Amino acid sequence: MADPVRDITDEALPDPPADLAAMVRRIAAAADPVAIVERSLDAVTALPDIDSAWMLLADPPDGDLVCVGGRGPVDLSAFKVPAATHGGAAATERALAASLASRGLTAPSPTCAPLVVADRHLGHIAVAGRPSVDAEPVRRCLDVIATTTALGLSHARLAQTSAEQERDRRDLALAGEIQRSLLPKPDAAGSAVYGLNRPYRKVSGDFFDFFSPPDGLVRFALGDVSGKGMNAALLMAKTASLFRCLGKTMNDPADLLALINREICETASRGMFVTMVAGVYAPASGRVRFANAGHQPPLLRRTDRTYEEFPADAPPLGIIPEIAFDARTVDLDGGEFFIFTDGLTEYRHGDSDVLGVDGLIQMLETMADSPLEERLHVLLADLDRDGWEVRDDLTVLAIDDAKASRSLDGGGGVIAAGQGETLGFLTVPALVDRVRLVRGAVEAAARLCGFDVATSADIVLAVAEACQNVVVHAYADRAEGTIELRTFRRPDALVIHIRDFAPAVDPRTVRPRDLDDIIPGGLGTHFIREIMDEVDFLPPPSGGGNLLQLIKTRVERE
Amino acid sequence: MSCDITEDDGTLLVRLHGDIDLEHADGVRDRLLDCVARGKDIRVDLSQVDYIDSSGIATLVEALQLAKDNGTALVLAAVSTQAQRVLKLARLDKVFTILETPAASPAGGG
Repeated sequence: MADPVRDITDEALPDPPADLAAMVRRIAAAADPVAIVERSLDAVTALPDIDSAWMLLADPPDGDLVCVGGRGPVDLSAFKVPAATHGGAAATERALAASLASRGLTAPSPTCAPLVVADRHLGHIAVAGRPSVDAEPVRRCLDVIATTTALGLSHARLAQTSAEQERDRRDLALAGEIQRSLLPKPDAAGSAVYGLNRPYRKVSGDFFDFFSPPDGLVRFALGDVSGKGMNAALLMAKTASLFRCLGKTMNDPADLLALINREICETASRGMFVTMVAGVYAPASGRVRFANAGHQPPLLRRTDRTYEEFPADAPPLGIIPEIAFDARTVDLDGGEFFIFTDGLTEYRHGDSDVLGVDGLIQMLETMADSPLEERLHVLLADLDRDGWEVRDDLTVLAIDDAKASRSLDGGGGVIAAGQGETLGFLTVPALVDRVRLVRGAVEAAARLCGFDVATSADIVLAVAEACQNVVVHAYADRAEGTIELRTFRRPDALVIHIRDFAPAVDPRTVRPRDLDDIIPGGLGTHFIREIMDEVDFLPPPSGGGNLLQLIKTRVERE
Repeated sequence: MSCDITEDDGTLLVRLHGDIDLEHADGVRDRLLDCVARGKDIRVDLSQVDYIDSSGIATLVEALQLAKDNGTALVLAAVSTQAQRVLKLARLDKVFTILETPAASPAGGG
């Protein structure tokens, strides 16, 4: 095969370009498309007999063919061949000839060299000049330049695309990171509530959240945005943020969903919607109150291993602006409450086998009696191992009421250490008139412990003052808190635990009263410290709040 | 909680019954401050008080301070064991004048 460049320089061209190879190198060295076009036009017009040249490009390849640059007397910057009609070189040549003719230039007719890389047609270099332009040697030179130009343009476009893709990839990874930061930290509400989220892609259209405001009640939600990808992820972020913000001030899950629904209807793009369950869980009573907007039924597993589903009776959020939701109340009674997206129940095995709710229940029942969090992880690991596949975001929120009861019963090591035999356990709403119930219980416990009437009366006063501090200061008279009282008998002492679910108290701010300063709260604290032998805030157990330990030592009379 | 008020020889006799705690302290406070506003000496009978706490004590202190500002006397009478104990805990047993006799009978002395 003859070397075209040598052919040209050696013999074929009467007046060869000074250095065709150098021109081609110059084109190849250019990085951006504009420079490539300019250098290519320079090279072409350096060929003998050519006095006009135009670069016609289609970008994208199936778009209109437009003139992006030219040399010579005729400005063709407005020249354009519509996408539908531009075909091969011959058609473009005809269109160019027509265009030139309309400007009064009839001869000679232009010649086109196609810009082709790997079957992709990028456009043409068109040249015009003396009739010899069409001569074979010039044509060959033109082809060399056209091929180099096509390769250069194709490479520049590819580099641009891959830079854009890299940017998108980084953006997506960042978005996923921000989404994960919207999920609650694992211990945000004590270990009785647990959630997990496995996005199918980098970003998720699912979310869950739970948090415990000072009143000790756990607010939770789980949602699934229609569709996948970035638009679903953004609506997910919006819905999750709305829940986190409004959930702090609204107690009724039905009202909360109604408000979020209105907000999403107002602003969400058409055709997108969110299915969502939102609710409140009271660890002290094991009661859940929730509302369901078109989401898969939550599932209750009772301690006797029976199950109940709670189907939605309202449509998803974002469809009908003015709609009421119903909240319902379920007593967990030490059972487990699962809310999940269809990612979990639509695990597939082969073409036809779908896990479904029945399959999920079956798996839960065959599992060892380990903690809920562990069982969920094992469940997913088993599904993955056995060849089940999931093609959706997967999110689960679970409440383990047995765990809540256990942690309140003195598990977790904090309360268990050496407080003696349990005398009694009493939970009262944090209300001023319920402190009376505490007084009765403490009086009885003190007498059971062998304290005389007068000392028992003192202990009653101390405990009542502590409870009143909780009602007035810790819960600030909000009606929804609870106080838990536990009394223990030690051989040498009465131990009393007062637990609340209010924000943590800084023990340094709880000081005995200055004697000149008659503030009821301060005076009460003074009483407590005068009467009791030990007054300590213990590290709060899981579930938050405060745990105050009061100890009254028995002085044996000789 | 209840609160009987009678007048005897220019002195208001305030007889408190039941619990004077956080739940009832506001009611007691209203009645006591009313009495103080009448500009007469006051004797508060605590013999029927089953339980008094820091908020009850704070109410008595407030009434005492207002009475002093008015130039009238406020004394406690027949203080129950529990109330005596709480006054002592608050180091207020020396701040109040405490009569041994019940308020209903004529004052013997002090």
